[in-house]
Amino acid sequence: MDRIFKLALMGTAIVFLVWGCSKEKPETDPVPKTAPEAPVDSTLNLDALIADTLSADSLARLEAERLEADRARLEELINRIMMEDVYFDYDRSDLTENAKRLLAQVAEILVNENRFTVIVEGHTDARGTEDYNISLGARRSTIVRDFLIAYGVDGRRLVPVSYGKERPKVQGNDESAYSKNRRAHFRVTIE
Amino acid sequence: MPARGGRDNATMNKIKLLFLFVAMALSAPTFAAIDTIAVDVGISVFQTMPIGIVPFEEETAIKWSSEAPHKILARDANLSGRFEAVPSDHFDLVLFSKKRARQYVTGNATKLSNGKIKLDCFLYAAETKDLLLGESYTVKPQDVRQAVHSFFDKVVYRLFGERGIATTKLAYVSKINGLKQVMVADYDGFSRRQITRDSSINIMPVWQKNNNGLVYVNFRRNRPNLYAITFGGKETPLFTQFAQTFSPAVNPKTGELLFSVTENGKTEIYRGDMKNGSAQKFLHLKSNQVSPSWSPFASEVLFTSDRGGSPQVYAVGKDGTDVRRITFMGHYNERASWSPEGDRIVYTSMDDGKMNIYTCALDGTDIIQLTSNAGNNEHPSWSPDGKLIAFSSDRGGSYQIYIMRKDGSSVTRITNGNENTSPTWSWFFDEKKVK
Repeated sequence: MDRIFKLALMGTAIVFLVWGCSKEKPETDPVPKTAPEAPVDSTLNLDALIADTLSADSLARLEAERLEADRARLEELINRIMMEDVYFDYDRSDLTENAKRLLAQVAEILVNENRFTVIVEGHTDARGTEDYNISLGARRSTIVRDFLIAYGVDGRRLVPVSYGKERPKVQGNDESAYSKNRRAHFRVTIE
Repeated sequence: MPARGGRDNATMNKIKLLFLFVAMALSAPTFAAIDTIAVDVGISVFQTMPIGIVPFEEETAIKWSSEAPHKILARDANLSGRFEAVPSDHFDLVLFSKKRARQYVTGNATKLSNGKIKLDCFLYAAETKDLLLGESYTVKPQDVRQAVHSFFDKVVYRLFGERGIATTKLAYVSKINGLKQVMVADYDGFSRRQITRDSSINIMPVWQKNNNGLVYVNFRRNRPNLYAITFGGKETPLFTQFAQTFSPAVNPKTGELLFSVTENGKTEIYRGDMKNGSAQKFLHLKSNQVSPSWSPFASEVLFTSDRGGSPQVYAVGKDGTDVRRITFMGHYNERASWSPEGDRIVYTSMDDGKMNIYTCALDGTDIIQLTSNAGNNEHPSWSPDGKLIAFSSDRGGSYQIYIMRKDGSSVTRITNGNENTSPTWSWFFDEKKVK
């Protein structure tokens, strides 16, 4: 029993070390979740290795580093999701090619990070009535949500809301303002 | 024209008389034609009645908290769509006769020792000086406007046999410190009062039955939700079984609510009971539906649907069957509302990115454009007597609220400052509730 425990500990530690080394590009490294099974190899002499490299101190330090790295990584992911808006054509709720490319990246993040709950906001430009624009914003938020679900994101983590024309990103009454306000915006919360 | 020369002899007079008869008989159709032309060239279709306005006599000079009573009466007269004020600083029969003002209003004002003001208000026949109506009010200085409005509505009733709108109010949305809040003001823009005071977005106010309170949309839960508020009372969330609700419309007979619900990206109209919170789907259509509006007797409903690819106005029976399309012109027709007189529909249409207000007959024909070349003009709302339309426009640079007659004439701005939008006219106030 003890041996198995140490093995597992060892395996985890190695993973952390490997992961720590590749910190420059954490978002592309999916190792943490699948790795722990790999190093279970009874032919290694692990006892000596553990005694040499892993004191209780270094374990705690690694744990703290891991949490810090994880937090930084999540923060960066959230920023990436919230920074990019999906833009729409006038009075349309279908996705442009650009929108699909962006949404694929967002979907990739959400599929790999299941602690996120995302509020998908639909917005419109200032033209037209409040009423019609809320329904238009609702269609936009829903088509974005549907795309993400089709990509494999759990629909329960995607909450669609419409703001209609009530929350413009840019003030102004010209096409340059309108085009930035016809958008779907993400707000991320962590469970 | 004949019959002018006083020195004509009898024969001439007879010939002229004969000529006159013939001319009259022949010209009858011509008069009708002239009437029609008058309408076509855009002269107001309103027949306004001149009414004399004389300042109140004040025993000792009174410092009025907003305006002197005769100024309030003149404004009520000119806004009403029924009268044309003929102001005069004293009773002037020559002026009143020349302007065809057959009646005039005036009164006495006395400041009482308890700080209140006693207003004796009179409506007289100009020529005979017969008293047609007399009303007396004893009010606090800040309630003078209300009393004068109340008198004016009695004048309307005395002369037309119809209820006036001088005592009605408007609910609207004002941007205060960057936040949209629901406000209530007298129909002429005075006596403004802030109703909502939270840090979220408040929009789409409509009046509950009997003007008991408002229903509006609030975003405090980061999504559009309907709330009810009673004046001086508390706020209640409505129909919480739905995630997103908006576009409220109050049934003038039963108080029932029609509203839009968004679920799974589709927006549909539901019919709900505000008291017990129950609601059922009103329409079973594949398309999105917003902006319901009841007909005056709640027998039919107007709404907007995108079923044809662009937002257009449709009508449907109160049971949700028998849908028919009303608007065909243009690519964006929205927010229709039924005239209280029942004969016409007012709606907003977008052309070249600009919003303008139109009316049409119930079958969509006889379209009249009421606003043009003056910025965006949106959110039309009928006065309860159907004579006037309140709307919001950015024609002066910022969005403000205006009142016009139902033919688009006599446009008067009634708000200033901030940004004011989405006026909704109250119902008539019960006479008993008006001081």
